[in-house]
Amino acid sequence: MFSAVALVLAVPAGGAISGQITILAAASLVDVFPKIDPGPRYSFAGSDQLASQIQQGAPADVFAAASPKYPDDLYAKGLVEKPVVFATNRLVLIVPSSNPAGLHSVFDLRRAGIKLVVGTPTVPIGSYTRQILRNLGLAGVLSNVVSEETDVRSILAKVALGEADAGFVYVTDARTVASKVVQIKLPAWAQPKVRYELAIVAGSKNRAAARAFVARVLAKRGQSLLKAAGFGGASAGGPR
Amino acid sequence: MLGVAFVLFFLLLPLLAVFLRVPPGKLLGALGSRVVLDALIVSAKTTVIAQALILIAGTPAAYVLASPRFPARRVALSLVELPLVLPPAVAGIGLLAAFGRFGLLGSTLRAFGVEIPFTAAAVILAVVFVASPLYVRQAIAAFEAVDPNLVDAARTLGAGRARTFLRIALPLAAGGLGAGAALSFARGLGEFGATIMFAGSLRGVTQTLPLAIYAQFEQDFDVALTISALLIAISAAILVAVKLRPRWTRSGSTSPFPFGLST
Repeated sequence: MFSAVALVLAVPAGGAISGQITILAAASLVDVFPKIDPGPRYSFAGSDQLASQIQQGAPADVFAAASPKYPDDLYAKGLVEKPVVFATNRLVLIVPSSNPAGLHSVFDLRRAGIKLVVGTPTVPIGSYTRQILRNLGLAGVLSNVVSEETDVRSILAKVALGEADAGFVYVTDARTVASKVVQIKLPAWAQPKVRYELAIVAGSKNRAAARAFVARVLAKRGQSLLKAAGFGGASAGGPR
Repeated sequence: MLGVAFVLFFLLLPLLAVFLRVPPGKLLGALGSRVVLDALIVSAKTTVIAQALILIAGTPAAYVLASPRFPARRVALSLVELPLVLPPAVAGIGLLAAFGRFGLLGSTLRAFGVEIPFTAAAVILAVVFVASPLYVRQAIAAFEAVDPNLVDAARTLGAGRARTFLRIALPLAAGGLGAGAALSFARGLGEFGATIMFAGSLRGVTQTLPLAIYAQFEQDFDVALTISALLIAISAAILVAVKLRPRWTRSGSTSPFPFGLST
């Protein structure tokens, strides 16, 4: 949540001295990326927030986003190199395991007074959530939103804590707190195409290490770790 | 001399930069945007209610605490000041643990049909929690500075405790109370950490000005700058009001300001 500030504070240390690279990654990658490579310095936040930081000149080497939108946008501005897709994901509705509102289907969200937590419209999880609700003809349930969070892990936290009745997150997030939340599956036909992209930051002072990191994620071991965490593979190209 | 210049430069540069980064025309334009207006309304509403609660409960409490006869006075004073030095994130966690759905008082509140998180009430609680110590502490100092002979005289002349408080202590301490109120108002207006954790962020409901800055940081940096400029202006106005305090104080008795705000 305060990663923006933390990042600014981290700036003077600089990657060049230690040879350690800095990865700005979507919040949903917080568990899996350090498993793929424990070496780099990570800053996890909403992809939109990280894109802002890169635009403001934050020193970073690799950008990993939960949507092609921001890497493609930065690529068009010459701020990152050509992005590559490295994973896919799916959305799921989660409720606290105590299920205080007694929700059993996404259509139950239409009941008035449900405390629903979603992402802001700019963070990928927020825009995917709006997409899936539109696909389901449920855009009206947005009137039950009680908080718009800036990254997916804040949504997860508020539902796992039991403060919210329900929230939309990625299946990979829901798995990390399996004992605290119950997943309500969402129909495959309504799923938006959730694609994760990696891009080397144009201002990177350590491109060789940045490239090596990208290669690691795309390599067999990286891909199998992503799969183990519930992500879809790079070649899948869409929801399954 | 050089040191002073350096400190001032360092402290003022970021504030100045906010105004220089956006052309004034654009600044004024963004000021009328829905996001800013909604946040301004939420902030105004919650801060005013929080401030009223702080004054209503804090003033008599401070009066009692200012009495040297109050038992365990030093302990009580330290406890009042504790939230002041706490990180706001700790306040957020604490409020959730106490008033959250599964918090200590959660089920009790629910029995009365009250759920606090994600409501304007949550914002108000967060503001009261972080801002009230600033007022109470200042108010205690203000009451302590009231000449006890005047209080005793009022009592010997037959005024009751309540009347003495209302007619003697309160007017004499008014200057200090005003300054304390201004400080806690400013702190409440800037409250961020506890609010975002305890109340969430929803435009027009719980999204205060500082929360709107955070949300707009990744959406529209100019709007974030505009809200920042607005908050700088409000804070500066409050500071000036505090500095002009001697004009509206009715007694010569003053108390030392916390945080170097002394006139």
